[in-house]
Amino acid sequence: MYHSSINFLLFTFHFSLNIMIHFHDVSKHYNNQTAIRKITFSIEKGEMVFLTGPSGSGKTTLLKLTYLAEKPDEGNISVAGWEINKLKESKIPLLRRNIGVVFQDFRLLYNRDVFENVGLALRIRGVGDKELKTRVFDALKLVNLRHRSDSYPGSLSGGEQQKVAIARAIVAEPLIILADEPTGNVDPDTSAGIIRTFKDINARGATILIATHDRELFRNTGRRLLRLDNGDLVGEEIA
Amino acid sequence: MFPYAFRIAARSIVHEKWINLLSILTMAAGLLFTSIIILSVYNIDVATKRLPEKFSMMLYLNDNLSQEELKNIMNTARKDGAVETVKYISKDEALKELEISLKDIKYVLDGLGENPLADSIEVKLKNEAVRPETAKRLAAKFRGLEGIGGIEYGEKFLSSIYSIEVGMKTIGIIFIMIMSAGMIFVCYSTVKILFYRKNQEIETYKLLGAKKGFIRAPFIIEGAVIGLGAGLLSFIGILSLYYATIFRLSLTIPLFKAIVFPTDIAIFLPLVGLIIGMVGGAIAIGRIKY
Repeated sequence: MYHSSINFLLFTFHFSLNIMIHFHDVSKHYNNQTAIRKITFSIEKGEMVFLTGPSGSGKTTLLKLTYLAEKPDEGNISVAGWEINKLKESKIPLLRRNIGVVFQDFRLLYNRDVFENVGLALRIRGVGDKELKTRVFDALKLVNLRHRSDSYPGSLSGGEQQKVAIARAIVAEPLIILADEPTGNVDPDTSAGIIRTFKDINARGATILIATHDRELFRNTGRRLLRLDNGDLVGEEIA
Repeated sequence: MFPYAFRIAARSIVHEKWINLLSILTMAAGLLFTSIIILSVYNIDVATKRLPEKFSMMLYLNDNLSQEELKNIMNTARKDGAVETVKYISKDEALKELEISLKDIKYVLDGLGENPLADSIEVKLKNEAVRPETAKRLAAKFRGLEGIGGIEYGEKFLSSIYSIEVGMKTIGIIFIMIMSAGMIFVCYSTVKILFYRKNQEIETYKLLGAKKGFIRAPFIIEGAVIGLGAGLLSFIGILSLYYATIFRLSLTIPLFKAIVFPTDIAIFLPLVGLIIGMVGGAIAIGRIKY
């Protein structure tokens, strides 16, 4: 009895240390329409997981719930050790600093050049000019965009803009990276390049959750796959 | 964070130069009008404060007044708490003073023969007592005494000066309040427009983990710059207006030479503009929700 309690505590401790994202019975509704229904899953530290499903299945909503752009109507969410349901508003920016997001619409600032766009993630964290310069160029090198640092997003192709968004998401080396359809606007070669970049970042220890409806992206990757359909988590498998 | 906020604010000021320039000019006009009102109130205040030094009541005595009656009048005046000094002026002394003040045209008095002036008592009031109601009360008191033929103290002048002072102060305060609210609104509208225009940008900041201070700082700096610009412009405006009045208008209307310009107060104009700009900016941003 005594040993089993200790084992349980050790398991719980290990679980809480290693779990980066945890959803428990989470539901989200928009105007009486259910976007996500009683979803439960966990993602461990250092994992790279794909989230797939048809359009409108709830992938973006699930990501938004993770970076607190939306609040759950039911259930509990914990991200990087933060209990989202109990989180004070003043702590939201701190939670978001642990997450790098590649938004579906990129959310780039079109009046700033590539360098400034990527550097914004570091400016927000109060990183000084000298360190910022080194880290921004490192991130741009990782996505093969070092030569476009002076360009404005408007002059870049869709794929290049996507890479800028990825560079901005990784530059601060967050614990978690969320990517919403990161290959939505690019050709298969660029798409493969982007996935290679994510694998590199993942190898450095970041936890990655990629939402995509592109099956080619996760086919034979050996990574865990969460399947959503009409707001339900309908399956979990290895791709 | 602050150098970056200044950079962002500077970029926005340059990028949105026309709307910012318009706001600066509107605010500067508001501050200039407010300054003119303050300057007017200040000058009227200075003038009314100088008034007590020159103010006196003249009690003209009847001819053949007995020493007893004169003593009674002098004592009654001296005993009143509002009175500072009481001075007897004989009609001969009065004539001499008149001759001095007439200078080159004193010959007009030559044809008079006999001294037409009356003996008089000059009553000076304490500075704080120089008010229309005190003067009125004293005049009524003296009128009740035997031996006084007439009293003169510029009753209407005194009343109108004080009415103007009270009126100008009231109008000034109301005007300043309205103008301040208006100027805050101008700054509020400008920053609000910029805030709406940058809505997407602000949303991105929030999603990337920016704290409220990081988001607010450039807008407040922008408001401050608009306010400071308007303050400096209105300072230059009021200074130019003052010197134009002193050096140009006073040639035609000498009264303008007496206008006092409170430099130490006017120097606060840029600071007032800066504060108004920052307040307007802060109100425009309002509460930031995540």
